[in-house]
Amino acid sequence: MRVFALAALAAASVSGTFTSVHADNIKVAVIENLSGSGSTTNREFALAVRYWAEQVKTKGGIRGGVVEYIEYDSQGSTATAAEKFRSAVADGAHIIVQGGSSGVAGQLTEDVRKHNLRNPTQPILYINPGSEALELTGEKCHYYFFRFATNADMRVKGLVTAMREAGDLGAKVFSINQNYSWGKDMQGAIDSYASLGGYTVVDRVLHDTNKIQDFGPYVARIKASGADTVITGNWASDLVLLMKEVATSGLKMKFGTMFLDLPGSLESAGQAALGYYTVESSNKEVGGDAMLALYADYKQRLGHEPSSSETRTIFAMQTLGAALNTLDLSKKIDVSAIASALEKANITTPAGEIGMRAEDHQAIVPVIISKVSPDAKYKREGLNLGFKPVRVIAGKDAVNPVQSACKMERPS
Amino acid sequence: MGNSRVDFVIVSLLNGISYGLLLFMVSAGLTLIFGMMGVLNFAHGSFYMLGAYFGYTLARYASFWVALAIAPLAVALIGGFIERYMLRRAHRHGHAHELLLTFGLFFIFEELVKLFYGFYPVEYRMPAALEFTAFSVSGIDYPFFRLFIAGVAVAMFMAIFLLLRFTRAGLIIRAAVHRPEMVEALGHNVPLVFLAVFALGAGMAGLAGTVTGAFYPTSPTMAQELGMIIFVVVVVGGLGSIEGALVASLLIGIFSSFAVGLDWTLADLGKPFGLHPWLAGLGGLLTVRLSTMASVVPFVLMLIILLIRPAGLMGEKA
Repeated sequence: MRVFALAALAAASVSGTFTSVHADNIKVAVIENLSGSGSTTNREFALAVRYWAEQVKTKGGIRGGVVEYIEYDSQGSTATAAEKFRSAVADGAHIIVQGGSSGVAGQLTEDVRKHNLRNPTQPILYINPGSEALELTGEKCHYYFFRFATNADMRVKGLVTAMREAGDLGAKVFSINQNYSWGKDMQGAIDSYASLGGYTVVDRVLHDTNKIQDFGPYVARIKASGADTVITGNWASDLVLLMKEVATSGLKMKFGTMFLDLPGSLESAGQAALGYYTVESSNKEVGGDAMLALYADYKQRLGHEPSSSETRTIFAMQTLGAALNTLDLSKKIDVSAIASALEKANITTPAGEIGMRAEDHQAIVPVIISKVSPDAKYKREGLNLGFKPVRVIAGKDAVNPVQSACKMERPS
Repeated sequence: MGNSRVDFVIVSLLNGISYGLLLFMVSAGLTLIFGMMGVLNFAHGSFYMLGAYFGYTLARYASFWVALAIAPLAVALIGGFIERYMLRRAHRHGHAHELLLTFGLFFIFEELVKLFYGFYPVEYRMPAALEFTAFSVSGIDYPFFRLFIAGVAVAMFMAIFLLLRFTRAGLIIRAAVHRPEMVEALGHNVPLVFLAVFALGAGMAGLAGTVTGAFYPTSPTMAQELGMIIFVVVVVGGLGSIEGALVASLLIGIFSSFAVGLDWTLADLGKPFGLHPWLAGLGGLLTVRLSTMASVVPFVLMLIILLIRPAGLMGEKA
């Protein structure tokens, strides 16, 4: 009798779900390094996606569809990220977003590709607003991966062009990078743009990522090489510690960096970073009132102004939003339709136009080269230094050619 | 050219020695604890971290010198508390249980620090009075604070060495390391000795943290960053030997420091035979540079020691 009642209750509740017609929530899962080493920089991607999701919620969703935001902590490790990906799949995620380490990105993009091969009717989309290793739009490219960040080649090309024009690039460059896909790409790019920049690379070195405490030996090596300029793709503690060590050792170097604008880096380096260059995807001075409004709103909601990682992520998610807006979201979510809409999406952001290149899913985004200067309009807290934009390169001029290694299989 | 070679050697030696002495400060306590109690203290790196954070807080409200005096004592007290009320209970159940307990403590301390101080590194700076250049070597300024750290490490070594060698308490401690039951039979309070040693070890790690946290980054991940290397130091130096810990940490510091400047690869071994181009062409492991693998050097050293002399450089043969 009791079993019968329970069975009836179960049947009733199941049938109850089938009879009502409503749209699925669009589940956006962020798998990011929220607590491992380097997490101070990486977690910004999660913050920005959450900001976008809340914006969408206050606007009443996208064409009635509700965006659901879920967070997973990869702790910066590829193994944990793979595990969290499986959790996200089990929780029904449609889209995953990750922007931190290119190492983790390399793992996730393969996991997504294999998942999509095994589940062709329920593919998962992977949006990456931050990882810049070339392989992601090279040999590891696939139809469901979209990179909304720049990449090593784009950044170095822009940096050396602008630095040379300004006369701030020396003739002897020391290349120091982290020993993983991004760092190696940077090393390769610094070498390949040597003639464009008019310099020779006098020495190059790779090191462990965000583990080294003492950069003394590296500074000794810089001095021994006789270089006058350092170009590095280091980020988070690797960049800060390197600059601090160069400062305490009294070496006067020109510096070209990729991630000096991320929070904490300039503040830690202080006056020692005067005249250093960085490449960014956005700068508060570029973009007029619309940009200032975005900065103010973000600060109001999250308590701090957005870094370039955060603005880049917001623009990436807005491009996704634009793609979603062209679809009918009243029935079941069709991820392959989202992918095909995303390929064609483009939006105008305060920083410039953003579009997506269909051949390798590399976004066409503008590149801004800035210099640390007391003349910058917006200065960092506690310092009288800020990032003064020196050159803005439009997306179509900045983007690198499609890599021959990318052979994308498109769904028929 | 010859000049820059000499410069490189001098600067690498200086960097290596200062880093090695830092490692010694933290691992001295660990080797003592391990040697005496057989307890593999996974939370030893956490004592280092606590020393840095207490130092940061005290330096903010009082001064660096107050921090230097009080923070290590606070950490020693915490160490004593852990030994008396936690480890002693686990001791009954064997070494594995003690190990798991310290492992758990490692996670707890990391989360507690994140809870009270946040995820991000804190701005723990050295006092302005100590923030000057000691001297210049080949165009690179050597900060005085590195010498200060080295000085504290040497003073710590002398104090412990003299304590163990020339005082009655030191005699009892050394005896208890080798023959705890016999020492107890002779009427000494061995549990108290264990408590004192654990607290002393924790306090030394705390002192290391207070001093170096002002120079190197102070963040919640400090303990895990240093944690692995100090085990290598203890294994290479020999369990229970303070002198061994000193030699091992200097070796590791110097080797790691030199490794950064050397681009040797396995393929280079083929140079005298004219095989270098072929080996380099094979790629993979043969072309990995020593400079890239500088952080792995301590572990390679540990491997060699375990193969040749498992008791460690100055450890007792079992």
